Amino acid sequence: MKQNRVKDGAMSNVKINTIVTRTASYSVLLLMTILIIIPIVWMISTSLKGEAVIYNTPPEIFPSHPTLDGFRQVWVSHPFFAYLRNSFLVVSTATFFSVCVSTFAGYGISRFNFRGRGFYLSFLLATQLFPSIMLLIPYYKIFMVFGMVDHLSGLVIIYISFTIPFCTWMMRGYFSGISKELDQAAAIDGASRTRIFRSVILPLALPGVAASAIYAFIAGWNEYTFAMVFINTDEKKTVSLGIGQLIGEYRTFWNELMAGSFFALVPMLLIFIFFNRYLVSGLTAGAVKE
Amino acid sequence: MKSAFAKRESRSGYFFTGPAALLMLGLVVYPLLYGFFISTQKTNLIDTWKFVGFKYYRQLLTDPAFFATLKTTGLFAFCVVLGNLCVGLLLAVIVNQKIPLANFFKVILMLPWLFPEVVVALIWKWLFNPLFGLLAHVLMITNVTKVEYDLLGKESSAFAGVVFVCVWKGYPIVMLMMLAGMKSIPQERYEAASIDGANKWQQFTNVTFPALTPIILVSAILETAWWFKHFTVIWLMTAGGPSGSTKVVSIDIYMQAFTDFNFGKAAAESVIVLIILMSVSFIYYKVLRDETE
Repeated sequence: MKQNRVKDGAMSNVKINTIVTRTASYSVLLLMTILIIIPIVWMISTSLKGEAVIYNTPPEIFPSHPTLDGFRQVWVSHPFFAYLRNSFLVVSTATFFSVCVSTFAGYGISRFNFRGRGFYLSFLLATQLFPSIMLLIPYYKIFMVFGMVDHLSGLVIIYISFTIPFCTWMMRGYFSGISKELDQAAAIDGASRTRIFRSVILPLALPGVAASAIYAFIAGWNEYTFAMVFINTDEKKTVSLGIGQLIGEYRTFWNELMAGSFFALVPMLLIFIFFNRYLVSGLTAGAVKE
Repeated sequence: MKSAFAKRESRSGYFFTGPAALLMLGLVVYPLLYGFFISTQKTNLIDTWKFVGFKYYRQLLTDPAFFATLKTTGLFAFCVVLGNLCVGLLLAVIVNQKIPLANFFKVILMLPWLFPEVVVALIWKWLFNPLFGLLAHVLMITNVTKVEYDLLGKESSAFAGVVFVCVWKGYPIVMLMMLAGMKSIPQERYEAASIDGANKWQQFTNVTFPALTPIILVSAILETAWWFKHFTVIWLMTAGGPSGSTKVVSIDIYMQAFTDFNFGKAAAESVIVLIILMSVSFIYYKVLRDETE
């Protein structure tokens, strides 16, 4: 009897604990959701306002006369189509190259023991410590010599240089998760190293390839600093750069700016909606293994 | 026989890693060494090249303004990394519970990560706008401030504003890494802990946190490196102002090089930043490894 009472007391304690934790959890989640939603709502609401309404005080959160002027104007008064095209061109080329070599390298590191392997790994991590801005000045000079300042090809090279390390790192994580016994089995069947890679392991690693491609794409799409330094011609700007420089010297049309931001965001949202699964699995493989 | 195998093994290793290694050599190592070379030159990068030795390093290391910039940068990186780790870890723990809507909130909480830095900076700059922004308006109608509050225009608050925005943008990646780490903690440990009568908090400090320490260490190093050299959000929101209160070292390097055309000095600054980041990572590594042992 006495024991039962103690047990009941313990149970209700647990229950109270659960209620407290749940309430606390949901309060934090709610607060964070509000903090995340406000800027998004503010962006969309501004992009739907007419030029004059932006400067109304008090600001309307839900515009009373929504208009698509901002969305139209950003295409008319700026070469916004060129921005998008340039971004797609530069970022997909860079992504393609760096994912190709990174997949090879990730496989090599995960499978073979060779002199310099440890050094190579620490070098890949160390590249994350280099201030990217440190490469700005040498690249500027190198591009001057090759006549690549104000050329999209220069940006491709830079984006390749900073996506290779983390793509290689991710691919290594992914390959490590694939059993080496598969390699051995294929080798016993007489397949060559390249054949094993191409026909046995690569097909299994495709989700990892997709994940690192997506990461490389997002990183390139978001890059601003190098684009700002190397690209001057309006027609050659990328989306990030184009939007960043819509802030006028005298007057900023915030509705156009927010409409432009919205367009820059859409590809990222689409990637997220369609490839969510790969993103998380790729990161898991890269982060947990060692 | 064995050495033949080892030879073949390392040949395959070089074959697969070769292309990436060559590209890194050409695209990262060479420019890096070249940057070091530039840091010893007085140059306009076109036709004037004059060797000045370590003059720029001496100049920088005796310049109080440079130390002030480093201090701002260090404080900025510290605040953002701490913020990211705390918020990221807290949210990861929360959405990792088996509660209704956990997956829905996971998606919402990841959204800031998708936003390009430029877009984040501009949206918040517009929210913080003193005359037409939402924040100033809310502060006015709630009577917190009497006049329009210029958050980014005040020395006292611009720094906090920039840090806030960077944490807003930066925590999801930490959260994702922590969630990935928690997946690998065996469920039995929690069961054992709750049989021993541990409450949620004790479970966190005794099971979750120790298991996550390696991942926290890696995130802390990478995050510190990322935010110490951060440029875009600060540049677009405040451009280092007002009166230098948000002037981090990346902005200083950029202005030194492309406003003052003092390329040698800017390169020297970059080298110093690299040395700082390497020492900081080394210390982190030492400290956290000793603690876990």
